Amino acid sequence: MGNMQMSTTIERAGHSNIPPDIARNYILIMLVNDRPGAVDRVVGLMRRRRANMQTLVMSQSITPAVVRLSIIVNDSEVGIHHLVEQLRKVVDIQEVISLTAEQAITRELALIKVSKDDANFNDIIACGLLFGAHTVDVTPETVTLEIAGSVENVEKLIERLQAYGIREIARSGHVSIARGNEQN
Amino acid sequence: MAIAAKMIQQTGTAGAYPTTSPDIPARELTGSQIICEALEREGVELLYGYPGGAIMPFYDALTGYPSLHHVLVRHEQAAAHAADGYARATGKVGVCVATSGPGATNLVTGLATAFMDSVPVVAITGQVANPFIGRDAFQETDVLGVTQPITKHNFLVRNADEIAEIIHKAFYIARSGRPGPVLIDIPKDVQFAKAQYRPVVMNSEEYLRSQQPTPPPTYLIAQAAHLIAQAQRPLIMAGHGIILSGAYNELRTLAEKTNIPVITTLLGLSAFPDTHPLHIGMPGMHGPAHVNRAIGAADLIIGIGLRFDDRVTGNVSQFAPHAKFIHIDIDAAEVNKVKVAAVPIVSDAKVALTALNKAVEPTDKSAWLAEIRSWEAKDRERQSSIRRNDNYPDPVSILEAIREAAGDEAIIVSDVGQHQMWTARFYKWTKRNSHITSGGLGTMGFALPAAMGVKMGLPDTPVWVVAGDGGFQMNIQELATLQQEGVTLKIAIMNNGYLGMVRQWQQFFHNHNYSETPITGPDYVKLADAYGLTGMRITSRADVPAAIQKAIETEGTVIIDFVIEPEINVYPMVAPGAAITNMIEEA
Repeated sequence: MGNMQMSTTIERAGHSNIPPDIARNYILIMLVNDRPGAVDRVVGLMRRRRANMQTLVMSQSITPAVVRLSIIVNDSEVGIHHLVEQLRKVVDIQEVISLTAEQAITRELALIKVSKDDANFNDIIACGLLFGAHTVDVTPETVTLEIAGSVENVEKLIERLQAYGIREIARSGHVSIARGNEQN
Repeated sequence: MAIAAKMIQQTGTAGAYPTTSPDIPARELTGSQIICEALEREGVELLYGYPGGAIMPFYDALTGYPSLHHVLVRHEQAAAHAADGYARATGKVGVCVATSGPGATNLVTGLATAFMDSVPVVAITGQVANPFIGRDAFQETDVLGVTQPITKHNFLVRNADEIAEIIHKAFYIARSGRPGPVLIDIPKDVQFAKAQYRPVVMNSEEYLRSQQPTPPPTYLIAQAAHLIAQAQRPLIMAGHGIILSGAYNELRTLAEKTNIPVITTLLGLSAFPDTHPLHIGMPGMHGPAHVNRAIGAADLIIGIGLRFDDRVTGNVSQFAPHAKFIHIDIDAAEVNKVKVAAVPIVSDAKVALTALNKAVEPTDKSAWLAEIRSWEAKDRERQSSIRRNDNYPDPVSILEAIREAAGDEAIIVSDVGQHQMWTARFYKWTKRNSHITSGGLGTMGFALPAAMGVKMGLPDTPVWVVAGDGGFQMNIQELATLQQEGVTLKIAIMNNGYLGMVRQWQQFFHNHNYSETPITGPDYVKLADAYGLTGMRITSRADVPAAIQKAIETEGTVIIDFVIEPEINVYPMVAPGAAITNMIEEA
């Protein structure tokens, strides 16, 4: 009986079931004490509460001994409010804010290593320039481009470079900050 | 004795936490001595633990602190359960101690039990010395990692200067907000190291802002009062939060002022007297039929300090399908987790109920209560027509006899399984906080060590253990601890020769395939004798009251082995995942 309803909706804790296509991404920004096990607790909580992290960025914050995490989750698995309340209980988390894409500025950095030969080298460089990418490394067989910008821009460049053969990509994950006077 | 009474005292006044004049001169002590000093300052009387390599410096220092009474358990799991039982009964933080590696991993089940049931416990574990951490040293386990999902918080102490502050923080976290276990992992070299010790002045407010209970906003209280005034078929569901908060009087005032019938969950039993005319019983998988029917018919559920566990709700979408919910809980993550609340109130139960009691108007719900009582009467009539085997001591008669003989004074600690449900259902709970059991985790083996903690925390209170023959054997080694400490428990084993609850599920849902549920046990009379205790074996119903009377009159711990009917079931029962109004009844 329950199984038949499952095919068209997703069951979520604390929410009515939702059609899969209206689930959206949320950006969680956290300030976490740099104590043994603190980041483990965040990551472990995500797993236990069935929230699948799409990207996770960890870096220094402006406060010494406090780490800043940006995590993108999709709320199809678990209601975002429930997740935020669970995170707020973690003693080493000083602050949690949840933002939608519209409330945040999000950037990504990517290093893209592309196969090259003498014939297409100039085309690759030109393609990169079109997206504002720099060339950071050149070897006889490869060229590595660095791009920083909106996630869409990074993805478009990657798509364009597929034609030349991409050997490896290193992406930073989404780095986000709240717009203007948004909380935080 | 409420945990929250102390908690509010702690959180309500900023700086009420261990403070001391900064001019107290610092003294040079070892890390181990600092642990003991901080435990003394927390008012710790009892520690349950077991020594071993990585915790030996602490045990060495311990003999210099005679106010810290250490109880040597026979397995670390029992240390955690005993600390848990002590905390549930007294409202103070329970403390357990273990060495690194296997000592610490043996605590895990006990910590998980305390975590699920929101019990304040502090666990101190030895860890291998700093230079060995991460090198797969002898008896090294990543205890922080292992206990991360089952503690409210855990600490690895990095140097001896941190010890005192961390211990006070651990106690604060354990008992504040929604209580829970906290583990402190202390490397052996940190226990040996010398540091300047000065009693800590701690600013808990700053460190632990998320733990503070806030008073509920007045608009939510007004909305709740409005829903209560409108409701025709309202129910109060009271959970463990009432006991943790000490909100007994406030709950009673709400019920009596509004005349709303009261349901108590498994961990809410004894939060509201069973004998009160408004009390209707326990909900869920083994709740009496009239309670689940009432939930099915209700138009308003006022849930206070409970989390709508799946054993309470059954199929969530069919749980109280006609009701709006007012949900009061101290944990914001519990509100809207299972049922969306029309009025979500994140607050300590006592604080919220005090505000709500001022806002509600007296109402008359006598027709609704009468309807529920008529269902109850019908069930009773039907049950009385069922023929039973009168030869065996039956669980209800055992519980009634204990209640009769022990009166209103006793605390009952039950284990997990069929006997736990019988105890919950058929014992008359009138004494506040007199029912102690592992609810959320359902930990077999809990009762014996937990009861030891209860009795040592409240030595003047009679404490009964009710256990099955399966669970009792899981921590049976603690009989030796009872003997060594001279702790008196009265133990009733409901012995059916099966893992009864699993057997019952096999009967109902697995086609009578009794796979690995028949179980034997020792001769409990001889066993008691071997430990220097008293044992009895009762095989006839007629002998039950006299046996219980004799157990009470006999000095020291007594074990009564009640040989009950082998395939007796707990009725009614809701199949897992079914609607709670769809009950399997005794034929």
